[in-house]
Amino acid sequence: MQPPSSDVLRGTLDLLILKTLTLEPMHGWGIGQRIQQLSRGVLDANQGSLYPAFQRLEQKGWIDSEWRTTENNRRAKYYRLTGAGRRAVGTESANWRRYVEAVEFILQTT
Amino acid sequence: MSMLKGFAARLRAMFSPRSTEHALDEEIRFHIEQETEKNLRLGMSRDEARRQALVQFGGLTQAREAHHEVYAARPVEDFVADVRYALRTMRRTPALAGAAILTLALGIGANTAIFSAVNAVILRPLPFPNPDQLYMLWEENPEKGWHKQVSAPANMFDWKEQVAAFADVMGYSEAFGTSTLTDGGEPMIVKPALGTGNFFSVLQARAALGRTFTDAETWRTGQSVAVLSHRLWRDRFRSDPGVVGRTIQLDGSPVQVVGVMPAGFAFPNEKVDLWQPWAWNPSNRQQVFFRRAHWLNVIARVKPGVTLETANAQLQAVVKRLQGDYPATNTLMGAGMTPLHEFLVGDTRLPLLVLLSAVGLLLLIACANVGNLMLVKASGREREAAIRLALGAGRRRLVRQALTESLVTSMLGGAAGVALGWWGTRALQALQPGGMLRVSQFEFDWVVLAYVLAITTVSGLLFGIAPALWSSRRLPLDALKDGGRGGSESRRIRRWGERLVIGEVALALMLSIGAGLLVRSLLRLQHVDPGFDPNGVLAVRVSLPQGRYDTNEKIVSFSIQLEERLRGIPGVQSVGGISQLSLENAGYTSDFTISGWPAGKYGSEVGHRRVTPEYFKTMRTPVLAGRAITVDDRADAPQVVVINEAFARRYFQGEDPIGKRITFDRVPDSASVWNTVIGVVKSQHQTKLNLEPQIEVFEPLAQSPAGMFAVLRTAGDPASLGPAVRRTVAEIDPALAIESMRTMNEVRAQSLARERFLTTLLLLFASVGLALAVVGVYGVMAQMARRRVREMGIRLALGAQANDVRWLVVRNGLRLVLLGLVIGTAGALVATRTMQALLFGVAPKDPLTFVSVPLVLVLTALVATWVPATYASRADPATALRAE
Repeated sequence: MQPPSSDVLRGTLDLLILKTLTLEPMHGWGIGQRIQQLSRGVLDANQGSLYPAFQRLEQKGWIDSEWRTTENNRRAKYYRLTGAGRRAVGTESANWRRYVEAVEFILQTT
Repeated sequence: MSMLKGFAARLRAMFSPRSTEHALDEEIRFHIEQETEKNLRLGMSRDEARRQALVQFGGLTQAREAHHEVYAARPVEDFVADVRYALRTMRRTPALAGAAILTLALGIGANTAIFSAVNAVILRPLPFPNPDQLYMLWEENPEKGWHKQVSAPANMFDWKEQVAAFADVMGYSEAFGTSTLTDGGEPMIVKPALGTGNFFSVLQARAALGRTFTDAETWRTGQSVAVLSHRLWRDRFRSDPGVVGRTIQLDGSPVQVVGVMPAGFAFPNEKVDLWQPWAWNPSNRQQVFFRRAHWLNVIARVKPGVTLETANAQLQAVVKRLQGDYPATNTLMGAGMTPLHEFLVGDTRLPLLVLLSAVGLLLLIACANVGNLMLVKASGREREAAIRLALGAGRRRLVRQALTESLVTSMLGGAAGVALGWWGTRALQALQPGGMLRVSQFEFDWVVLAYVLAITTVSGLLFGIAPALWSSRRLPLDALKDGGRGGSESRRIRRWGERLVIGEVALALMLSIGAGLLVRSLLRLQHVDPGFDPNGVLAVRVSLPQGRYDTNEKIVSFSIQLEERLRGIPGVQSVGGISQLSLENAGYTSDFTISGWPAGKYGSEVGHRRVTPEYFKTMRTPVLAGRAITVDDRADAPQVVVINEAFARRYFQGEDPIGKRITFDRVPDSASVWNTVIGVVKSQHQTKLNLEPQIEVFEPLAQSPAGMFAVLRTAGDPASLGPAVRRTVAEIDPALAIESMRTMNEVRAQSLARERFLTTLLLLFASVGLALAVVGVYGVMAQMARRRVREMGIRLALGAQANDVRWLVVRNGLRLVLLGLVIGTAGALVATRTMQALLFGVAPKDPLTFVSVPLVLVLTALVATWVPATYASRADPATALRAE
C-alpha cells in the first residue's frame, strides 16, 4: 500500500471539486479520479472526505445533484455547478492565488 | 434559488434522516464498486480489489458521521437521541435513577414551596395601582421607646394638609375588635376595619358594586355606612346585588350598605369582613386627645414622580413645626415614612430568607448526592465511554451526552419536585400561624415556575459536570486496559468523592446548627414563666353589641351576672375577668406621676388593664404585697390600682408602694384623678414570652368598665366546659355571640406559633439534609472501600488484622468528616449571625449548639463509614487477589 501522497488541505478540497465540475457534471467517484489525474497523482483526496464536502457545497448552494444512469446503466448521483457555484470558482481561485503568493513571498524572504 | 435548495436539503435531512442516509449509502456503494472495477482492471484479484477500494475510501463510519455532521439539524437530532439514550439507561438502572429523582424532588420541592411564599410575600407587588407611590407614615418617640408606631389622628391631618408632596393621606385601624351582625339570621361576629373617607381612594381601589366611601364620611354625616367584603357578601348575603342600599344591624345599630368590594381586595388583611368610615365628631380636631392618643395606621400616596427623599424632607419640616406648635403632645414626637410594601413585609422578611437559605443548602446537599450517584454510574460505564472514544466519538459529544443525561434526571426530579412543592405550598398555607405571612394564598405563577426551571437546570449542570468531564477526560487505551481499576484514575475519582463528603458534611452542619439554635431558643421560650398558671384555664370573650350595652352600668351588671352564672357551672373552681388577655394584647399605655415626685417629673408607657376581683386568684398570679382587688372596690368607692412587680421594682426601689397615690397625667392638676396603690402582683407577660413584662397597673373593672374576657379555672379539661359556657351565655341574652373561646394553654401556644412554625420547618429541612448527607457519605465511603478491596486483601494476606483494616477505612472517612465540620463550623459562624433577631436567650455562637450538633454529625458519619469499613475488612485475601 502506497503512502498517501499529500493530504488535501481542508478548504482547498472544495475548490478542487468546484474546478473539476466546471468541465461537466460528474459523480463522486469520477470527481475523485479526475482530481487525482489532473494533479498527476500528487493530490490524493481521501475519498471518504469527498462526500461530506459535497454536502457542504450543496448547502452553500454552489452545487446541486441528481440521480442519473451511467453509461454502464448504473444509478449514480451526479453533481453539477450552480450559477452561484460558477461565480464562486472565480472568487475562490483568486483567494487561493493570493494565499499561495503570500506563502511563497514569506518562504522567499525569510 | 440554490440557497433555497440547500435549505430544502437540510430540512429533508432533518425530517427524514433515514432516506438521506439511504441515499448516501447508495452513493458510497457505487463509489466502492467503481473503485473495485478499476482495481480489477489493474489486475488485482477480486478480493484484493475490493479491499484496496475500501482502504482507499477510508473509514466508512467516519465518512457517514462527517456527512451527518454537516447538517444543521445535527444538534437537535443528537439531543433527541441523547434524551432517549438517557431514558433507556435510567430504565436499565431504575433504583439508581429513582434515588436520584427522589433526592432532587425533595430538594426542589422544598425550594418550590418556600420560594412561592417568598414570591407572594416579598416579591409580588402590592395589588394596588401604582403601588410605588404608597408609603406607610409612622411616629417615633425616644422617650417612650417608640419606633415605627401608629400615629395620632390630628398629626395625620396636618401631614395631609401641609406636605405638598403627598397627593393624599388616609388613616385606618383594624384593632377595633369585632362587631355583631344581626340581620334576621343567627348573630354573626364580623371583623370590621375603620378608615377615613379616602381609605379606598388613596389605594385607588374601586367597589365591585355600589360605591366606596366619600371624603365627607371621615366626619359624622348622620348616616352610618359600610362597604362589604366579597366574602361576606357571598356567604352572608348569597351574592345578592340588591344588598347595596339595604340597612343592616351592626352591634344593634342600623348601618346602610353602600358597596361591595371585588374578591381580590383584602386590605389591611384577609380577615376583614367589612369597612366603615370613622364618622368622627368634627370637633375632635381641636381636642387634645386627638393629638395625644396614637392608634392610627397612616398611608400616604405621593404625587407622581416624587421621591422618598423629597417627600420625607417636607414631612420632617412639618413634624418640626408641630413639635413647636403643640408642646404638650408633640415635643419629642418624630415621624417617618417607609415604602408600604417594605413596611408590610416587615419582620417576615428575615424568617423567610432564613428558610430560603435553608432549602438552598438542602438542594446543594441533594445535588452533591445525585452527583455522586452519577459519578458512580459514569465510572461503571467507562469501558463504554472508552470504546466510543476509540471508535471516533468526539469528546465534546461525550460531555454533551453525559450532561444531557444529568439534565434529563434533573428535569424528572424537577417535575416531581413541582408536584411535591405544590403540596408543600398547600401545607405552608394551611399551617402558617395566622397573619404571619400577610397573604394566605400563594399560588404558582410564572415567577415561581421560572425559578423552579432555573434551579432545576442549575442543579442538573451542577451535579452533571463532574461525571461528564470525568467520562470524557479518560484516554481510551487506559480505560480499556485497566477497566477502571487503574491507579491514576482511581485516585481522581477518589478525590471527587472526598470533596463531596467534605462539602456535604459542611452543608449539613450549617443547616443543623441553624435548626439547633432555633430549637434551643424555642425551648428557652417555652420555659419562660408567663406570670400565671395557664393549665386548666378557659378564656371566653363575649361580644357586647354597643347599641344595647350603651352605658357603664349595663356593661358592669352584665359582667357581674356572667361571672356569677359561670361560677355555677359544675367543675368550675373560680371565674375572673380581664380586659385584655395576657400573651395576646397589652391594652393601652399612658404617662403617669406618683404623689411626692418633684414637679415636672413623670413616667411613660405604663400599661392599663382592668380586672375583676377573682382574676388573680383564677390565674394563680401571686399577690406579692398588699391585697388584690375586691368586690368592695366599686365605682363609687375610692379609686385603687394594683401594680405589677416590674413597676414596683423600677419606681419603688426600696420603698413600700402600698398606699402611694398615682395619677395618669403627665402634669397633674386639680382635675387629676389620683389612684391609691393597694397591692403588687407578679408580672405577667403582656404580649410575647420573648419580651420582658412591661410596667403595668390593674384597675378594677367596676371603676373603669370595658368589654372583658372571662377566665374560668377547672380541675379537669378546660376545653370540655365549652358547651356549658355557650348555654350559660345564651341564657343571659340570646342575642349575644361568643367571639372567642380558647384555653390559656392555646393562647400561650399561639403566642409562640411563629417561633414554633419557623423552628419546625427548619428542623424538618435540617433532618432531611442530614439524612441525605449521611446517605451521601455512606455512598462515597462504600464505593471507596469497594475499590480498595484488593489492597485490603493484600494487607490481610500480609498479616494485617481485620481491625487494622477497618480502622484504616474509618480513619480515612473521619478525616474527611472532620474537615467538613471545620469548614461547616466556619460557615455557620458567619451565617447564624443573621439569625440574631430570631433567637431568644441563645447567642448565635451558642457553644452548646456548636458542640453538640457536630458531635451528632460525627456519630452518624461514624456509622456511615463503619459499615463499608467492615465490608472491606472481611475481604477474603484469596478472592480479593483473584478479583482482577
